[in-house]
Amino acid sequence: MSGSGLWRASLAIAAKDIAIEWRTKTAFVSSMVFAVLVLAVLYFARDPTAVASIDIAPGALWVTFTFAAMVGLNRAFLLERENHALDGLLLTPAPPTAIFLGKVLANLAFVGAVEAVSLPLFTLFYDVPVWRQLPQLVLVVVMATLAFVPVGTLLSSMVVRTRFSESMLPVLLLPFLVPPLVGAVQLTSRLLAGRPLSDLPEWVRLLAVFDVVFFILPFLLFEATLDE
Amino acid sequence: MIDKARALKTARYGQTITVLAMVGLASVYVRALGFTPIERFQGPAQKILYVHAPAAWAALMAFGITGLLSLLYLMMKDRRLDRVAAASAEVGLAFSVVMLTTGPIWGKPIWGTWWTWDARLTSTLFIFLLFIGYLALRNAVIDPVVRANYSSVIGIMALVLVPFIHLTVYFFRTLHPQPVLLKPSSPSMPGVMVVTLLLSIAVFTVLYVGFTMQRYALGLLREAREEEAAHAGA
Amino acid sequence: MPPAEPALAVEGVSRRFGHRSVLSDISFDVSPGETLILMGQNGAGKTTLLRVIAGLLRPSAGAVRRLGTVGMVSHHSMMYDALSARENLAFFARLYGLEPGKRLEETLERVGLGRAMDQRVGTFSRGMVQRLAIARALLPEPAIVLLDEPLSGLDDAGARLLGGLLGEWAAGGRAVVVASHQLAQLVPVATRVGFLVRGRLAALEPLAGRSGDDVLRRYRELVADER
Repeated sequence: MSGSGLWRASLAIAAKDIAIEWRTKTAFVSSMVFAVLVLAVLYFARDPTAVASIDIAPGALWVTFTFAAMVGLNRAFLLERENHALDGLLLTPAPPTAIFLGKVLANLAFVGAVEAVSLPLFTLFYDVPVWRQLPQLVLVVVMATLAFVPVGTLLSSMVVRTRFSESMLPVLLLPFLVPPLVGAVQLTSRLLAGRPLSDLPEWVRLLAVFDVVFFILPFLLFEATLDE
Repeated sequence: MIDKARALKTARYGQTITVLAMVGLASVYVRALGFTPIERFQGPAQKILYVHAPAAWAALMAFGITGLLSLLYLMMKDRRLDRVAAASAEVGLAFSVVMLTTGPIWGKPIWGTWWTWDARLTSTLFIFLLFIGYLALRNAVIDPVVRANYSSVIGIMALVLVPFIHLTVYFFRTLHPQPVLLKPSSPSMPGVMVVTLLLSIAVFTVLYVGFTMQRYALGLLREAREEEAAHAGA
Repeated sequence: MPPAEPALAVEGVSRRFGHRSVLSDISFDVSPGETLILMGQNGAGKTTLLRVIAGLLRPSAGAVRRLGTVGMVSHHSMMYDALSARENLAFFARLYGLEPGKRLEETLERVGLGRAMDQRVGTFSRGMVQRLAIARALLPEPAIVLLDEPLSGLDDAGARLLGGLLGEWAAGGRAVVVASHQLAQLVPVATRVGFLVRGRLAALEPLAGRSGDDVLRRYRELVADER
């Protein structure tokens, strides 16, 4: 299939996923509720006289983003298991890469939506000056999200077939969250302190390289998870 | 069809190698305790290095081998590669446990703390966690071909991840410098100690080979038994 | 005159799951315009064989050669319950590189789902889902059509519809393989019947005007022979 054909198939699959999620909204609501709870719990899990909210804010934001995302990542392939819909996809000329790309795009949209709604809440709860460097912050969010969504999508494609899929995904995914999460926290912390991203070039580079490697690698490996 | 006779032979070779390694281990420790000088600053506790470092080495080697064999399996689809990868992972997990327990035991008298988040230790902690994830996933999949495919995927990704973990912690530490620690294996280790350490590492490597062969053979025999059960039921 | 190239050639196909052998050394051809019935008990391997033919499963040994696209009606709907019939078809049409357009509505009318087009598939009866699955299988104008127990869940009208479609497909040169044990409607339109007993193709014979009962009897003979 040509490049544009692959792209069109992926978009069709992503659009279908988004349409279905839009109609049922179950995963999105679960993720949002989870996000709000985590933000709240982390806010209270400290001695307010000793630790300022801005000190824990970056960590709280990123733990919230990643954990809320995990709640929704299994959605992508669970959807294909009901009625064996995945077989229907595999019968079409759409290559497995398109299926994976479609799922990644849908998951990116999903996680992006959760993040977009959580960020204002975060600003509200933690009283942090997000607006000063919003574009840079958004860049960091995009880079860190790109770092873990493809891996999470790949892992969920395997885990949904196992018995304990809900608990297996975090066990497998969490180690892969560590570099992007730590990097994102460092960069977010600097941004909230009014410092530029160029203060921490090694973290930006680490995040960028991680993005490239862990975007490409899952694509190369996806087909292996389909083989029966 | 699984050749049980060959599996048993592999097991026996493995056992022989393990026994030899154990003898080697005993000799190395006699040397370490009796014939290697006590380190000036760290005292006798430093001798745990001769267990900790080789165990870490073996765990790391096992991890690398599992990752590499995973890649080879995906390219060649030979189930034997997957079986060795799985055996290596289980043995690697055992060595990780040794490494993670001896680390703090050694660290406490020397650094004054049970744990420190330096790049090396943290990487080895993650190797331990990734081994667990790998084995947990294997355990959750019934069909052997699917299990081999899935294991290889996670094996490859885990191998690629570890350098990033190492870098992350390294950058973290340079960003937030920790109090200066005594470097455990400074380059200025006297020749005698270096030799003991290298011998230790060599013995642990042989131990790894012996254990992995036995675990591999055990895996084969288990599959053979499942095969027989399936045929009997058919 | 040399025989025309078969639309579908199954060559020495075997399939194991773990240590269980589900299919053993199965070989047969299906020509364009032919309709082959696959008979076999549950667990004999019919579904597995159809999935291997469709390309969804890799054979442990042997190969399948296909001269064209495969359309499949399985006993799982392979549809999205949250979407309507029209949306499901439009989605799959896009994946087949087709522009949805008017043809979708015509296809849905043809299978009798004209009035339920915009209803969510999750609300459909089994019979309606089957009809939709047939519509979807036909989207890419497949050279080969595979059906796994298509009559289960279909009411009389649906069964007549399927019978008519089978006739059309045969006339249109499509190769059809139907796995089923409900023979009455299929026997009039089929050319050959294959008997699957415990994963092996015990026999492959022309129907030669036999009735459904005759075929059933032959099947029981073969099952008894295999014991």
